[in-house]
Amino acid sequence: MAAPGTLWLVALFLVPAYAILAVAFGGVDPILRTAEPAWNPVDWDFGAMRNVLDRVFTGDLAHVFVRTGLFALLALAGCFAIGYPVAYYVARVAGRTRGVLLVLLVLPFWISYLMRMLAWVNLLQTDGLVNRVLEWLHLGSGSRNWLDGDWPTVVMGLIYGYVPFFILPLYAALERLDWRLLEASRDLGASRFWTFVKVTLPLSVPGLMAASVIVVLPMCGDYYTNTYLTGGSPRTEMVGNQIEFFLRGTSQPQTGASLVIILMVFLMVAMAYYLITIARSQRDGARA
Amino acid sequence: MTGPRVGTSRRDFIVRGAQLAAVLGIGAPLLQACGGDDDDEAVTEPIDDGLEPEAGPLRVFNYSDYVNPDVVASFEEKYGVKVEITTFDVDAEALTKLASGSVEVDLHHSCAPNTLNRLIAGGLLQPLNKSYLPNAANVLAAFDDPWYDPGSQYTVPYTLFSSGIGYRADRIDPALVETAGWDILWDPTYKGVTSILDDYREGLAMAMLRRGLTDVNTTDEEVIRQAGADLRELTGLMNIKVNIEGYKDVPEGVTDLAHTWSGDMIGGAYSYLPEGTDPSVLGWWYPSDGVGIVNNDCMGVISNAKSPVLAHLYMNHLLDAANAELNFEWLGYLPPIDGLDADYLIAQGYVPENLRSAVLTNDIVAKGLRFEPLPIEADQIWEEEWSKFNAG
Repeated sequence: MAAPGTLWLVALFLVPAYAILAVAFGGVDPILRTAEPAWNPVDWDFGAMRNVLDRVFTGDLAHVFVRTGLFALLALAGCFAIGYPVAYYVARVAGRTRGVLLVLLVLPFWISYLMRMLAWVNLLQTDGLVNRVLEWLHLGSGSRNWLDGDWPTVVMGLIYGYVPFFILPLYAALERLDWRLLEASRDLGASRFWTFVKVTLPLSVPGLMAASVIVVLPMCGDYYTNTYLTGGSPRTEMVGNQIEFFLRGTSQPQTGASLVIILMVFLMVAMAYYLITIARSQRDGARA
Repeated sequence: MTGPRVGTSRRDFIVRGAQLAAVLGIGAPLLQACGGDDDDEAVTEPIDDGLEPEAGPLRVFNYSDYVNPDVVASFEEKYGVKVEITTFDVDAEALTKLASGSVEVDLHHSCAPNTLNRLIAGGLLQPLNKSYLPNAANVLAAFDDPWYDPGSQYTVPYTLFSSGIGYRADRIDPALVETAGWDILWDPTYKGVTSILDDYREGLAMAMLRRGLTDVNTTDEEVIRQAGADLRELTGLMNIKVNIEGYKDVPEGVTDLAHTWSGDMIGGAYSYLPEGTDPSVLGWWYPSDGVGIVNNDCMGVISNAKSPVLAHLYMNHLLDAANAELNFEWLGYLPPIDGLDADYLIAQGYVPENLRSAVLTNDIVAKGLRFEPLPIEADQIWEEEWSKFNAG
């Protein structure tokens, strides 16, 4: 029974992950300067990894990792602020319009991410629609340069790009909630607010965690959102941009692969926390 | 800094990879992508004379929007074949994809001279048969025996360009740009409206030229590190943007000053200026002493091309003087063809008078500095400094 799952895991995770290790600890073709993976661990050379670790923990790449993490956390907060009410509404309130709303939520996936980012470039230009609307609402002079390499634009782009991925798993979790528990809470005298805080929110934690993992992982590897929305400003460089630079034709692909491994380790820590939380939640649920 | 570890050969890697795949029973597509197709043997001799063109399609590997579609269409019509264009973003990416076999094409449309030696040594290009290239006689004499391809055995030149500063002459006094030169890119008066090329060789070399250093192929670590430090100043001082969008950002007025290529200003003047805007709003600066970067792209036939005759005929088509002129009209990048000088191009209305200096002269080509291949250890220092600059 486990064979398909095992095959899936081996083909789509273990083999690619091992290939990255082989590149990170391998060499470079002396003529073409392309990666020459070391498939045998006996041949592994850790020089490039040591150099990258120095740069990540004590050098210039430290703030790239910190910046990437902050962008992802801020965008996650934005996804929560927008996504939770939407998912809650669709799961709890929408009724017969639920199907239409779900279709609308899926609709952005029909257009490529890059196309949607390019559309934002037009909207955010100095003479673009965003400034015109803000001016019309008397919320600004209408001349703000949103594409000037500032972090809020990047975070906005990440939120816009990933919020549908946040809403759908959260909706699935909320839709499965035992709503009788909420009714019991109200029957026992809790207000709507406290019912939400004490019952609904704790019960949504597994769904929130799943949604968070689904958006944070790709956000941390994202490199095109900031490229498009800042005109290539070094002030918003993310880890993904550094990986792209080193793996897209430099003479040190091991550096790019080493960065991938370091990013994976950071994300695995977050993933482990998610798995522990889910296990704990299921254990508590079984006890109840 | 880690140097290259030359342990296993390319063939060893493929064999060992295949063994691993056999053990795991999977991964064949990955390894095939790494190793290429064994059926396609690399060619080390030119094709024979007098062969009939293949049925096509002709598969071309090129930058996006780097050839006039009308010129391609006229080739398709002339030979009754389809041309399929696969694109890449940067030269090194093209080399990586060709080396890994992840793209299968017949013609490299735009390879850079400083990586050409790797394409040739790696057996990725085949020698040309010049009997299919009579229009090569139209090419400037300077390219009869180019430094990067002695005797033009493997390539013909496609475009010729210099690196300089494209700017808005209606917002910045041209005399000021002329006086300041490269220093103007460090002038905080233009903070937020300045960009430099997203190319590690171009960016770092520009910082070296600013200091009066003309060895743009230096292996001196101290010089390279200093250039990187100079570029890092730009992040806070100028809120610099690093991209290759100067061809549209300057004409559209998003950027006032752009370290960019000469062809970008000529092409941008006609393709990206808002309607009703006179091309005189654009300016171009190149070092007045003629000591700046001059570069060219060139075309070559891939060693395992399925349509090598068509690939030769395509190159010949682009070297035809009329087609080259048509291509320039659309692209803005100068083909190194006899007769296409500034006087002629301005008279034809292809280049506005104020961008005359963006058309390369024999003098600029003769004095220009060229990017040459770097030893791998030095190349890695250049790359690391560029990475540090981009890290912000």
